[in-house]
Amino acid sequence: MPSSVTAPEGQLSRRDKFRAYMQASNPTAPALQMIEAGLVCEELHHYLFRNLAGRADLEPGSQQLLVGGVGSGKTTELILAERWLANQGHVLPLYVDTSAETDLSSLNSGALLASFGLHLGRWLSNGAGTHIETEELKRSTKESYEKVKRYAYGKNELVLKDEDALRIENVVNQAWDVLGPRFSVQKVPGKLKPPLPPLNRDVQEVRAALEGLLAATKEVHKDVVFVFDGLDRLLDPTKFWSVVHQDLRVLRELKVSVIATAPLSVLFGAGVGQSISDHFDRVHHLAVIATDPENALLRSVLEKRRSAELLNGLLTDSICHYSGGVLRDLISLARDAAEEAYVSERDSITATDIEKVAHQLGTGYLRGLGPEALNALLHLESSKSFDLSQPSNVELLITRRVLEYSSTDFRVHPALLSVIPRPEPKRA
Amino acid sequence: MPEFSTQPFFEVARRLEIRGETGWLAVLAPVTDPTAALDQLQTELQSILQKPARVIQLEPSTFEELSGDLHQPDDDAVILSSGTGLAQEKWRSLDVMRSALERSGPVILWLSPGDVANLTEHAPNIRSFIGGSIFLAGPDGGIMTETERQERLTELSQHFRLTGEEVVRKAEAKELPLEPEFVEWLVLMGRGDLV
Repeated sequence: MPSSVTAPEGQLSRRDKFRAYMQASNPTAPALQMIEAGLVCEELHHYLFRNLAGRADLEPGSQQLLVGGVGSGKTTELILAERWLANQGHVLPLYVDTSAETDLSSLNSGALLASFGLHLGRWLSNGAGTHIETEELKRSTKESYEKVKRYAYGKNELVLKDEDALRIENVVNQAWDVLGPRFSVQKVPGKLKPPLPPLNRDVQEVRAALEGLLAATKEVHKDVVFVFDGLDRLLDPTKFWSVVHQDLRVLRELKVSVIATAPLSVLFGAGVGQSISDHFDRVHHLAVIATDPENALLRSVLEKRRSAELLNGLLTDSICHYSGGVLRDLISLARDAAEEAYVSERDSITATDIEKVAHQLGTGYLRGLGPEALNALLHLESSKSFDLSQPSNVELLITRRVLEYSSTDFRVHPALLSVIPRPEPKRA
Repeated sequence: MPEFSTQPFFEVARRLEIRGETGWLAVLAPVTDPTAALDQLQTELQSILQKPARVIQLEPSTFEELSGDLHQPDDDAVILSSGTGLAQEKWRSLDVMRSALERSGPVILWLSPGDVANLTEHAPNIRSFIGGSIFLAGPDGGIMTETERQERLTELSQHFRLTGEEVVRKAEAKELPLEPEFVEWLVLMGRGDLV
């Protein structure tokens, strides 16, 4: 930058100050980046990540589920658990965001196993495998990895042409060079390459290959913990269950500990709670954090992200209130309020900025709500009762218009509540 | 019924610029001549962010195509256009692949009027990334009136204690800092060629 900068003194530092704040309050930054930058409060959910990691470590084959609404901090807890496990030394934690690797909207049973095998195979082939001492195990590990890759990505295989099918007796008795032209190539689709068609192959097909890879991993003195992120995107619980019944069952048999995320819809709704506890050793519910000023947790999240540079105490409480305790909304509001102050040429955040961004957030939640849904929200606000046997109410929960503070405490998102049009009082 | 804030495209770009990396926001396309407005947004983004801006159509992109396009390259600005609007099913499938959409450069969703309801209803994971950053392009597509332009030029001049001529002279001598306010100033004076 030239030395002849003519901006008044303090102008560039103002921009630098806002920029630094915005980067610390970035609601879409990767969780790992925020953790490494020291911007995450590990105590936020009472160190839940340690419970998750400890159980997975002590009980091979255990399966735990982390259930939470959108923006509740699930990924952060999973990555903290992964890092804790890695620090133990004797465990190999494999964190995989399945939704980034494959098209979950057409997910098949077997896809999670394919993903697990690929990550384990990659770990072994990227140096860890050099610790395997016997040649036989090295060879079988390589073969297992190749099998997993074929299972995941598909393969080309030779199949008999129709005319040859009638002469199969002759075919099997001839040499390869004679037979070659009699075959055609047929694509067998893989597990991870989208689009993923419905798959009928038994997930057991890949089990032997996974066993081979796990045997090699044991040779390097590592137990494996598979941390599955992204399954919470499957808002339709039936898709979630289709992989749970197949893939996770095999992983349990293989004594691989699993920590996975799930959407709120598997927890709430008629009759689903029981089946969840039947299938998992432990279900952790990441509820919304209480927003009352006495609860300093939300404030500590903002303080960790440099809020003091642009916000005073009362304004911080206001942001906490409008967030409803949804972590990503909290950080978004803090960021957006600063943005509003910056483009309005102010040096710090004001109450007007917060009201404006809360209105924007609330208006986003309001869109798409019909009269019935609005009535349901107003009824919840006045009566404090919420009937979860109604699918439309579960939808309100999934889309975060309604927040769950406990199994009996449901409330309308405060930013939404502030913009809901109220019916005019009837005139006498 | 409450409405979203109306922002000129220049302000939209300025908001993304101050955010730094990985910014997500949504802009509701104007009803009249959305194609011209989209071109204008693309130009403003390139000018303010000082990086290329691409438009990617969300329909009929597949998971693999969209994921590939967004990461090759990963750090330019990308406008994801919903065209005349996306079906509910498409929003659902985009929502489950949100992780594959994450990138280091800014992402701008260019939405038709009916898309916001579908975004909130059927793509809560994407909506969560957008937060309250949903803006109306306005009926003029974000173009400032002459009065607004003069007001802004006066504001900049008073703030930096410089005249327009001095800014042009410094830009020609390559002595002007590459701050967005100076880029804006030059563009408003019709001297975008000096940026």
